[in-house]
Amino acid sequence: MLLNIKNLQAKVEDKQILKGVNLQVNAGEVHAIMGPNGSGKSSLASVLAGRENFEVTGGKVLFDDKDLLEFSPEDRAREGLFLAFQYPVEIPGVSNINFLRTALNEIRAYHNQPTLESKEFLRLTRENQKLVEFDAKLTNRSLNEGFSGGEKKRNEIFQLAMLNPKLSILDETDSGLDIDALRIVANGVNKLRSDKNAFIVITHYQRLLDYIVPDFVHVLYDGRIVKSGTRELALELEEKGYDWIKEPVTSASI
Amino acid sequence: MANKSDDILEEYSSKEYEYGFVTNIEMEIAPKGLSEETIHYISAKKQEPQWLLDWRLKGYHSFLKAEDPHWQNFDLPKVDFQGISYYAAPKSSAKFKSIDEVDPELIATFEKLGIPLSEQKILAGVAVDAVFDSVSVATTFKATLKEHGIIFSSISEAVKEHPELVQKYLGSVVPHSDNIYASLNSAVFSDGSFVYIPKGVRCPMELSTYFRINTENTGQFERTLIIADEGSYVSYLEGCTAPKRDENQLHAAVVELIAMENAEIKYSTVQNWYPGDKEGNGGIYNFVTKRGVCRGANAKISWTQVETGSAITWKYPSVILQGDNSSGEFYSVAVTKGKQIADTGTKMHHIGKNTKSRIISKGISAGEGQNSYRGLVQVGTRADNARNFTQCDSLLIGDRCGAHTFPYIESKNSTATIEHEATTSKIGEDQIFYLNQRGIDTEKAVALIVNGYAKEVLNQLPMEFAVEAQKLLSISLEGSVG
Amino acid sequence: MITTTSLYDQLISFYNNNSAGDEQPWLKDLRARAFDAFSTQGFPTTKNEDWRFTNISAYLKENYSLLPGSVSLQNVKSANAIPSFDGYEIVLKNGMLNEDVNIEGVKVTPFRTALQDDHLKLYLSKFIPLQKNPFAALNTALFQNGIVIEAEKNAIVDKPIHLIHVYNAEDPVFIHPRLLVIANRNSKLQVVESVFVTGESPLFLNNVTECYIAENAQVDKYYLQAFSPNIRLVNFTQCVQSSNSLYNNYTYTIPGANLVRNNLHLDLNGTNTESHLYGLYLTGSNQLVDNHTSVHHLFPNCMSNELYKGVLMDSSRAVFNGKIFVHQDAQKTNAFQQNNNMLLSNKAVIDSKPQLEIFADDVKCSHGSTVGSFNNEALFYLKSRGIGEKAARNLLVNAFAFDVTNKIQIPAVRKYIEKLITQKMSEAYD
Repeated sequence: MLLNIKNLQAKVEDKQILKGVNLQVNAGEVHAIMGPNGSGKSSLASVLAGRENFEVTGGKVLFDDKDLLEFSPEDRAREGLFLAFQYPVEIPGVSNINFLRTALNEIRAYHNQPTLESKEFLRLTRENQKLVEFDAKLTNRSLNEGFSGGEKKRNEIFQLAMLNPKLSILDETDSGLDIDALRIVANGVNKLRSDKNAFIVITHYQRLLDYIVPDFVHVLYDGRIVKSGTRELALELEEKGYDWIKEPVTSASI
Repeated sequence: MANKSDDILEEYSSKEYEYGFVTNIEMEIAPKGLSEETIHYISAKKQEPQWLLDWRLKGYHSFLKAEDPHWQNFDLPKVDFQGISYYAAPKSSAKFKSIDEVDPELIATFEKLGIPLSEQKILAGVAVDAVFDSVSVATTFKATLKEHGIIFSSISEAVKEHPELVQKYLGSVVPHSDNIYASLNSAVFSDGSFVYIPKGVRCPMELSTYFRINTENTGQFERTLIIADEGSYVSYLEGCTAPKRDENQLHAAVVELIAMENAEIKYSTVQNWYPGDKEGNGGIYNFVTKRGVCRGANAKISWTQVETGSAITWKYPSVILQGDNSSGEFYSVAVTKGKQIADTGTKMHHIGKNTKSRIISKGISAGEGQNSYRGLVQVGTRADNARNFTQCDSLLIGDRCGAHTFPYIESKNSTATIEHEATTSKIGEDQIFYLNQRGIDTEKAVALIVNGYAKEVLNQLPMEFAVEAQKLLSISLEGSVG
Repeated sequence: MITTTSLYDQLISFYNNNSAGDEQPWLKDLRARAFDAFSTQGFPTTKNEDWRFTNISAYLKENYSLLPGSVSLQNVKSANAIPSFDGYEIVLKNGMLNEDVNIEGVKVTPFRTALQDDHLKLYLSKFIPLQKNPFAALNTALFQNGIVIEAEKNAIVDKPIHLIHVYNAEDPVFIHPRLLVIANRNSKLQVVESVFVTGESPLFLNNVTECYIAENAQVDKYYLQAFSPNIRLVNFTQCVQSSNSLYNNYTYTIPGANLVRNNLHLDLNGTNTESHLYGLYLTGSNQLVDNHTSVHHLFPNCMSNELYKGVLMDSSRAVFNGKIFVHQDAQKTNAFQQNNNMLLSNKAVIDSKPQLEIFADDVKCSHGSTVGSFNNEALFYLKSRGIGEKAARNLLVNAFAFDVTNKIQIPAVRKYIEKLITQKMSEAYD
């Protein structure tokens, strides 16, 4: 099993956000996590990636049988966990290419692999840019600076392709994308899918799931996964909205 | 995270200054103290002409009358002028005809500092003047430069070989009465570099001076004079280091630049004097007066500085924009950490018509460092259509440091346009997290972000040194992460 | 070293002859300290960094009387120059309040009465750095007149208070007006000050205003400086804000007075405060207008925003010095400052010195300063649409000032200021 989340609980400041999440992901699978705004979807992604303002208050996460929560954010990345950010940050003056080369070589060093030769690195860059249809000029532009919303998201997928992680978490990658950009992003992901890696796709809308077809769909509500199913669950949610999910939990908790 | 950054901070604070070694070499050192005799002593040692001795004495008398400045943003340490020896030279230094005559110990010292002095090993395209305590020990590529009519020598040699040039320009931009430290320098300067680029000549290589303070209880008082005659171009770079010592040492240099019509001077500094230890003991007081004048029309002077060393850095490389259409630039990155203080900036005096100036200052404060930008943009009545743009940013790392901005803007001309912008921010946690998430550790992440932040300035450095400066910046901030 | 002038000597002996009165001990003590601060500093010279660009020596040379003019002001009927201003009007004649004021939720007391007990001990000159401000120290030592405006707890004052200072200047006078505004918890108060003068002799106003804003209270303070040429004003405003309070300061200087020096000191003495400082200076003839502001962020989570705009004509001079201090405990500070200037004459001089001093790291601070003139493109565009030079310039100056004038919350005041700008600009190009 690639990822095993057991009863994960976390809070931010004094607010309990995750109240016992359980989830198992095997290599080769795509899981979608859906849910209304504020249900804890993005928080789950942040906790897994190790964002510091989240405090884990209980539970366990095994990643490739290692205790994920013991790792620093950079070691989680080096172990093969990739987060495609909902809002990729801009870093002025740091060129995309310099950033990528540093990231790739840091990860390689962690696995005792030699630094990539410039030629090889550039070949890889070109190849992956093509793969994810990302034609932005990378050398002279600062990381995400001056990128449109769509370009930022495509840059995330491009980085995913470059770093070749075991598990990728796409945090609302579809938000703010028009249909063409959405298709391009989804195509990129589909090309990168293999039986060795896995994806967790966090989304509010089922639209993305027309393009990235999930094996499993989970509904996160009020810090817990309240329903799991197959693709049909997403369609049902699209039709009925989230209210029918909310009802039982809320009434049960009263 | 708090704990983690503390650890890194701790690790960093104990990081050794790389260039803190001492060279053991027999030195000839003047007795401590400052008096007319000291000046006679230095002048006699250097076998100087009477006019120079007279000029030094005028400087000395200005020094006696001068008061310490009072406007700076830090407590000015009391400098014991009588506790300093004003002349220290390697015994064997009389005169070197070729590099082979230089004491091998000295050559080894400069090699260790990354400054090879033999021309086979030297960086291609860079001529170096190496100054050890009070004297220039070697100047490379002199012959090659001579073919172009370029004079590049120590100022002592220039006094002997080109007295008419030195006498004409020495003190013409920074008078001996300018300020207390410039007066002191005028009185006791021991060496430094002299450059003259003849009319229409584009200097074919970078010129560079490397300053090294070695001896205890000495100060370094070098004087640099660069003259770019009509239509010429030169790019000049200085670097500096000093051994680790518990007492503070004074470095009071004067740099004068003169750019005639259509001439351009690019002056770059990578300053890495010993900053003192983490408790703030020792370190160099870097009190420097640097000023250039654009004498003729279309002249251009550009200052670029990367300041990472010294206990206190206090300097304002300035440009007097006298010629019409002349332009001045100032690009600065100043890093303060530990208990370092930097009070630096520039002055742009717009006198001629259509004069332009551009100021880009990037301050980085970490630890308990204090970083001030202080600048003056002054537009005179005749400076029609003068333009200035100033961007002045401060980056804070940690909650015990400070960043301060003191721009003075004065305009007397209604056709002038002056823009000043300043921002202060800390390194974004979200930026660090993003880089962490891509497998880059916090230390490297900070180095990346800081180098990105300073890029506009680093890009101004000659290529050979830009990489050096980038490394220096990363090293000097290692571990100061928040 | 202090530069002694005859005025200085005159003030020393005036104090020594008048300090024997029977005042409260705490007040006597305060006055003695303040006078000591003044007498050791003397009047500031250009060697003092805070007065570097403003040489006041020429304005101190008159043969001033230290007591307000004796000519009666009974004949002054209406000193209110602001048309259709719906506010509570308080008229002070030579600093004296001659009628009763009834405003619901607000107590208005002349200092002469208020100083007779201990109530003001908590406020008077508590935050003013007297050792660095000789004028404010002098005022503290000598002031007699002026009023205290105190808004009661929870009082939301429905209309602005319009405070009109009426002075006579038949002979040269040097006086020390004083105002104390106290806004207690949860109160809300607007104060508009203007000045009306009869007579044409030099009138030196050494003004001090203190403003204490308690928790969750809000104060809007306007000073309309449309003065006649014989006025020399040195004005010190000290504002102290407690947690969750809001302060808006508006200073509008329109040509007239020889010398205007405004010192505005803001101490953000609690968390989560908000402050806006707006200033406009339109200077003409030989005027010198100097605005010195300093904002001290002492606690976390406070926001300050400062915008000063200047338009300089003729041989006038303007100085802007804005300081923002973010002290070590003041994390999460947002502090912004902007000073923009239009220099419309080659004989005019602007000195701008925005200044940030930051000792905390989690802050967002910025400042900017610009000096320029008319945008020739814009001017040409307007002219090409048939608008004459004068009208076009007027439009552009009003547009430039708009960022500051549109912040005025009281419509009548805003109209009044806009009209004055247009009027002064028209005069300038006649």
